[in-house]
Amino acid sequence: MKRFMRVALLVLCGLGLLQTALFTDEYLRFVKPGMRWLLIASGVVLVGLGVLEALSARLGRKERGRHEGHHEGPGEHDGHGHDHSRVPRVAWLLFLPVLSLLFYAPPALGSYTAAREPAKVVAVQDDGFDPLPATSPLPITLTGFTQRVQQDRSRAIKGRAVQLTGFVSPADGGGWYLTRILISCCAADATTLKVRVYGGTPPKADTWVTVTGTWHPGGTLGTSSAAVAVDARSLKKVRKPSNAYMDALPLG
Amino acid sequence: MRDTGIRGSGIPDFRDSETLEFGVVQARRQARAAEAAQEAQAAEAVSVRGLPRHWLLVLFGAAVLPGAVLVVVGRSLEEPAVQAWRTVCLAVTVQALPFLLLGTALSGAINAFVPASVFSRLLPKRPALAVPVAGVAGVVLPGCECASVPVANSLIGRGVTPAAAFAFLLSAPAINPVVLTATAVAFPGSPEMVLARLLASLVTAAAMGWLWLWLGREEWLRPAVRHTGHRAGHSRWEEFRQGFQHDFLHAGGFLVVGAMAAATFNVAVPRSVLDVFSGSPWLSVLFLAALAILLAVCSEADAFVAASLSGFSPVARLAFMVVGPMVDLKLIALQAGTFGRAFAVRFSSATVVVAVVCSAVVGGVLL
Repeated sequence: MKRFMRVALLVLCGLGLLQTALFTDEYLRFVKPGMRWLLIASGVVLVGLGVLEALSARLGRKERGRHEGHHEGPGEHDGHGHDHSRVPRVAWLLFLPVLSLLFYAPPALGSYTAAREPAKVVAVQDDGFDPLPATSPLPITLTGFTQRVQQDRSRAIKGRAVQLTGFVSPADGGGWYLTRILISCCAADATTLKVRVYGGTPPKADTWVTVTGTWHPGGTLGTSSAAVAVDARSLKKVRKPSNAYMDALPLG
Repeated sequence: MRDTGIRGSGIPDFRDSETLEFGVVQARRQARAAEAAQEAQAAEAVSVRGLPRHWLLVLFGAAVLPGAVLVVVGRSLEEPAVQAWRTVCLAVTVQALPFLLLGTALSGAINAFVPASVFSRLLPKRPALAVPVAGVAGVVLPGCECASVPVANSLIGRGVTPAAAFAFLLSAPAINPVVLTATAVAFPGSPEMVLARLLASLVTAAAMGWLWLWLGREEWLRPAVRHTGHRAGHSRWEEFRQGFQHDFLHAGGFLVVGAMAAATFNVAVPRSVLDVFSGSPWLSVLFLAALAILLAVCSEADAFVAASLSGFSPVARLAFMVVGPMVDLKLIALQAGTFGRAFAVRFSSATVVVAVVCSAVVGGVLL
């Protein structure tokens, strides 16, 4: 029974990791894409450990059959500093995340987290800004837009139609933000990028949308007093990207 | 509960004294009540043998309750706060598992394959000298803090003096090349931050090692942690497999405990609270040290988090990066599981104090 529990725990842990990193891309809800191969390798190692444990149970039984009464039984490893055959009681807790990964993975962080965090401070772009491409409307990341609005002294963004993609998070007082959550290692260190959107009816929280609009005047453009906001001209629902934790341009 | 005392005693039922009469009546009433109770008990005893009383109700409850509980639990799992908690909890676990696996594999290998004499040859004989050497040796273990706990444990099992093993435990997650590179990337243009982190972490690790030599007691360590290493007549591979597997299951369980605690603080404490403390230089150092403990961010990522805390002084951010890899909720859980609770509490609290002092001094000089 103890042996069975150990095998089950190890194999399920491995399968949980494989499920999240190999069979689906749900791991992107928790960690960065670069973790994928580490997770798959860990999953394989854990399944392997479980299989070895199951095999050693069968071998142990055969062995015992050969020299009767020689062994005290599978798992009883005499005199070792501490008994390795016991399943530590705390190990049962591993079932919680593992079953959750296998059958009931939670969604990526969304508007709940975004609403409770102040907007991230974007990096200062030291070496000036290139002229904006002429395409209109101009697809731009939330980081790019924030930098253009708050740091670009040439005010190239003024009057330009821009296209921003993110998910909806409610703002205090009825308005809403176009939002992206970024992570640097795992979802525990999430930071939030927000652009306030004016105009139009606010869509439901957590829906992914592409907003086309122009800079919403407020403060002095090109300085940190400028409002990071757009006047929306049009709104289009888009599919949620599989890697929600990055600030990428909308596809197509 | 028998009433023979009154009925059979021959005392007349009615007397002049009203009080006595009252008393008798009451006694009768009690007697009757007792009889009734006995009957009821008997009836119940019968019904237990047959069907329970209200069996329809029980059946109905059995049919409805689990469903209702499932619905309520299911609903609450859909709550945004609970979902965020589950995501953060899983994120910490998933992020840490590969490194934990690496650490437990390494500790299993040290136990099974490396003879104890190797360490006694590599480390200086005098414990006071072995401590800084072990601290610097932390450079060789790339990974985050989860890997270092089982490795330190197996080092102690192989006869390394605990003080040196603890110096290694504290320095390894903070000063390995992966973490230092991440720090350099997170703080572009300020290499002094990388240097300050390296120095403050090393000094803290060595100071804690010496502190253990001075004040530490063996009995705080759980005696069960002793691995005996390879024994003659056993397959080394089999020993490796069993140690690896046991350590992983054990540490994995404690990792889940730590991840749950960290997720709770992560979701319950909004980041906007931070701004309250960023004004005062001294409070902000203490506050970011406390935050590092509660958030339990992996040491490979904490530099990015520190960089994003732009309202705080560089010294406070340094304290965040020095304390974080050495003490946090998931590490305390892992240490309590590996070395015992008595050790984890004393060691973690002492480490926080030493780490804060070291980062304040080093940061004050360099930053």
